[in-house]
Amino acid sequence: MARVVVRNLTKKFGNVTAVNRLTLDVRDGEFVVLLGPSGCGKTTTLRCIAGLEAPDEGEIYIGDKLVNELPPKDRNIAMVFQSYALYPHMKVYDNIAFPLKMRKYPKSEIDRRVREVARLLKIEELLDRKPKQLSGGQQQRVALGRALVREPDVFLMDEPLSNLDAKLRVYMRAELKRLQRELKVTTIYVTHDQVEAMTMADRIAVMNNGVLQQYAEASEIYSRPSTVFVAGFIGSPPMNFIECTLVEEQGEAYLDAGAFRYKLSEEQAKLVREKASSSELLLGVRPEHITLHLKPVEEGIKGRVYVVEPLGAELIVNVKIGESILKVKTPVHGELKVDQEVWVSFNRDRVYIFDKRTEESII
Amino acid sequence: MSRKRVLIHVVAWSIALIWIIPYLGVFIASVRPYSEIVDGWWNLHPFTLTLDSYSAVWNHKTYPLKRAFVNSILIAIPATIIPILVASLAAYSFARFSFPVKDMLFLTIVALMSLPQQVVIIPVFFLMSDMGLINTRLGLILLHSSFGLPWIILFLRNFFMTLPVEVEEAARIDGASDFQVYFRIVMPMSLPALASIAALQFNWVWNDFFFALILLLSPDKYVVTQTIPMFIGRYLISWDKVAAASILDMSVPLVVFALLQKWYVKGVVGGVIKG
Repeated sequence: MARVVVRNLTKKFGNVTAVNRLTLDVRDGEFVVLLGPSGCGKTTTLRCIAGLEAPDEGEIYIGDKLVNELPPKDRNIAMVFQSYALYPHMKVYDNIAFPLKMRKYPKSEIDRRVREVARLLKIEELLDRKPKQLSGGQQQRVALGRALVREPDVFLMDEPLSNLDAKLRVYMRAELKRLQRELKVTTIYVTHDQVEAMTMADRIAVMNNGVLQQYAEASEIYSRPSTVFVAGFIGSPPMNFIECTLVEEQGEAYLDAGAFRYKLSEEQAKLVREKASSSELLLGVRPEHITLHLKPVEEGIKGRVYVVEPLGAELIVNVKIGESILKVKTPVHGELKVDQEVWVSFNRDRVYIFDKRTEESII
Repeated sequence: MSRKRVLIHVVAWSIALIWIIPYLGVFIASVRPYSEIVDGWWNLHPFTLTLDSYSAVWNHKTYPLKRAFVNSILIAIPATIIPILVASLAAYSFARFSFPVKDMLFLTIVALMSLPQQVVIIPVFFLMSDMGLINTRLGLILLHSSFGLPWIILFLRNFFMTLPVEVEEAARIDGASDFQVYFRIVMPMSLPALASIAALQFNWVWNDFFFALILLLSPDKYVVTQTIPMFIGRYLISWDKVAAASILDMSVPLVVFALLQKWYVKGVVGGVIKG
């Protein structure tokens, strides 16, 4: 077990900068998820930590040791690949035993450990099979077993659940989390699935275009996104963004979105005046923080129903206000007809304002 | 059966028949006495079945075919194993590692495949002569090995590139060195490809006449293909003996093919082999 420190990591492939000056500190025993869209550099970061790619700049420490120059086998890490990467010509037993064989453990010790891991993962009766005779979920467990058997300092996981069907994925998500808690092994987990990240991680590192956007606990990432990217990436459906300009009239500050004006509180106005680089702003509200009204209300913004998407217990109502469409998540609301007039109001505490130019959060 | 299918069957059977007639002729000639086939193997009256020609060539006084078999085997087996070992390591590095002038080197190797044997045989002869390898099995083994290298490198490099690289990366993380990754992971995963290459290379070496003719001079070193013409005789052609020796010669590649056929087909089908 060990902490992992990544400092100013940069990795380029030709002209493409896959990872750009990334700094990340993973505590001992922590479960950290690298989250981002494909091509954001999360897998490259993981591969640099594993030693499968050599960084162009920066340092990587595992424990207190600088590992930049160490080959993968000397870093005492274990990795689970998206494709599982089982050895197709070996039986499950030999797959799990392979890391121990390579390290010349005595036979009796190998046997003891393989059986122990097999029991832990409930794959004892599969030990004599070849990987291709296993289902996806079973192969997944074998891959995990091969990683667990060596009792490594750090687990690296590259989208290990993305090849499983939806039901199994939800099940394995919980299993993995429990296992990690039990073993307390430092884990770095790569995924593009925000639900996976939110449910499993102690902390989430959101990446985009090779740059770390925000590194914090899941609740913080959700409630205090630091950039437009993070705000839009976390949450389903994603946050609504409305372009607007700051307008001051008779000592009051408003956000003018064209079709409506949103009055800022004293405090909000002060922050905006301090931090904004120009009067061009983005107003962000999550669909779950908008209330839908069938009758006019104070501070309500008038719009028309554009589309209704039922989700069972809830509805996603697309409301057209001026030229923009707001997604609103709301409990089922009697009959809603297309083009019907509705009013929406924002939960004042849950309104975000971003600088349009820098894309950074102001409130 | 539709008319189209009937037509396809007729055409296919005709081609197969045309293809098989020469072999059938050689086989029938090999199991009948000389007097019966001298006017053509297709004259089936009288028909006496005998294996005399086989024992005659097998135990021939001056050119016993059994000695030639031993020679051929002693050359073909090492000339199959050596190039596969060397070429597979080269192919693996072409497929997985990056190093300066890699592409140029690879293109050169592929271009070497187009060199005809007849073009290089004279310099090769002098080279062998300088190294004292004329009239030695080792000389022929080395020559066949070097001729096998380019195509085996090309074939295996393409095959290795289809293998999932994560499996090798997993092995690296699990503690394997480059050579361990190759010998414990890549090679076992490549058995179908290696088997089909072995079949092709073995048969190629076994069937070679030209290199052996130039490099092996004394009759006690002759390989099978070199020995067959010796049964032609000075005044008359012993068709029965030539036929028997040919059948024995052919049987080896056929057996090799039959044994490795399962793998061979997989290898030809190419990178579709999955773990």
